[in-house]
Amino acid sequence: MHDDHSNGHGPDHHRGHHDASSPAVRVGALEDLLVGKGIADPERIEATIQRFEHDIGPMVGAGLVARAWTDPSLRQRLLADADAVVADMDIRGAEIEHIEVKANEPGIHNVVVCTLCSCYPWALLGLPPNWYKSPEYRARVVREPRTVLAEMGLELDPDTEIRVWDSSSETRFLILPERPAGTDGWSVERLAELVTRDSMIGVARAAEASSLVS
Amino acid sequence: MQTPASERGVHDLGGALGFGPVPHDPDEPTFHTDWERRVFGLLGAVTAATARRPGEFRYALERLHPGDYFDNGYYGRWLSGFEVLLGEYDVIDPGEMTGAVTERTRPTEAQTASASPLHRVAPVADRDPALLPPDRPTPKPQRRSVKRELADPPRYRVGDHVIAPASAQPGHTRLPDYVVGKPGTVVKLHPAEVLPDSTAHDLGERPQHVYCVGYDAQTLWGADAEPNATVHVDLYECYLIPASEDT
Repeated sequence: MHDDHSNGHGPDHHRGHHDASSPAVRVGALEDLLVGKGIADPERIEATIQRFEHDIGPMVGAGLVARAWTDPSLRQRLLADADAVVADMDIRGAEIEHIEVKANEPGIHNVVVCTLCSCYPWALLGLPPNWYKSPEYRARVVREPRTVLAEMGLELDPDTEIRVWDSSSETRFLILPERPAGTDGWSVERLAELVTRDSMIGVARAAEASSLVS
Repeated sequence: MQTPASERGVHDLGGALGFGPVPHDPDEPTFHTDWERRVFGLLGAVTAATARRPGEFRYALERLHPGDYFDNGYYGRWLSGFEVLLGEYDVIDPGEMTGAVTERTRPTEAQTASASPLHRVAPVADRDPALLPPDRPTPKPQRRSVKRELADPPRYRVGDHVIAPASAQPGHTRLPDYVVGKPGTVVKLHPAEVLPDSTAHDLGERPQHVYCVGYDAQTLWGADAEPNATVHVDLYECYLIPASEDT
């Protein structure tokens, strides 16, 4: 019954013919059973969810990027040994066993993917967005990065070298975007507001200074 | 040299053709529905009760039928993976699961729920340990980690040209098909790690040096390649052989 198990590569294969119950029903049933067996605890489940909804997210990475923008020695350390910086700043949590930071600069643009699953530095960026986990992104960004980035709104100069990083081991990547013009003298806190999730994955630039002018 | 697409795992998507625009939304919420929240919330409890070895949960997802892998997205595939693992570890038997689903389903849907399997999955591949690199002792890490300190020096250095031949046997691997047989260049060494191809199959840690290998887009995609692009993939030492000078 598994004859067609391993060929699901064309988009046509994605329209399943699976008529089991909806995921909402199934996860409810699973939770009932696991709680009933004492394996899962509803309060801990909710606490975990809320940590990732409120406390762990792109703001952690954004703070790191903004500090690197204002402190050249920190930037250097971050590029050479991000694990040490992350440990010094007491950033802990899942999916940051080994962090590599890649800096965008004039002529070089970096972008991250995980073609085999959806690896992502949770403790720095929170949980990955759906588009990052989509088969479209995973399939295409290694083969046609310039086209994919342009479709996503990032037009790069043809002379700019694109470096794609496929997260196939336990190393996780964070992109250090370029500091936007017109932000001289800004505080770390204000700069961090320009550092979007997309810019730390490498599918966008950091927001422009004017985006914060109300 | 690439494996025919029909033999690739459902998850091994890099470079696969036929996909359209990325469903991009720069302002996505953490979860899109309440059921996604619930699935995520169960991750810790399910993996603590089942897949505790590196690569084991990923391998459960990779064994899913394409419908179960793709249809309900990332958290849908997690949910099917949870069901697979809880069944394989005898934490919840399939009858129990179907019963609990039926209990939560309206009477009109109950028949459907009990008549069809919740997910379709391939069994764990039979893997010959003799085809894996030998295990070697390493200091026990102070906390739970995949990193290991290896006494043996790395076989390759930055600048070395390497090739990853196709995997010798079916089962879990972190070698993406799109680089198989293609010459690349070591650009950096990462910390050594346990080998997921072994741990996912419960065959020991067999820790490996890990290399970041850079591939020129032309090498990977030939005439279709976009100019001025490099793709980097992190590969375990046992995946690699030296590339001959003339490749």
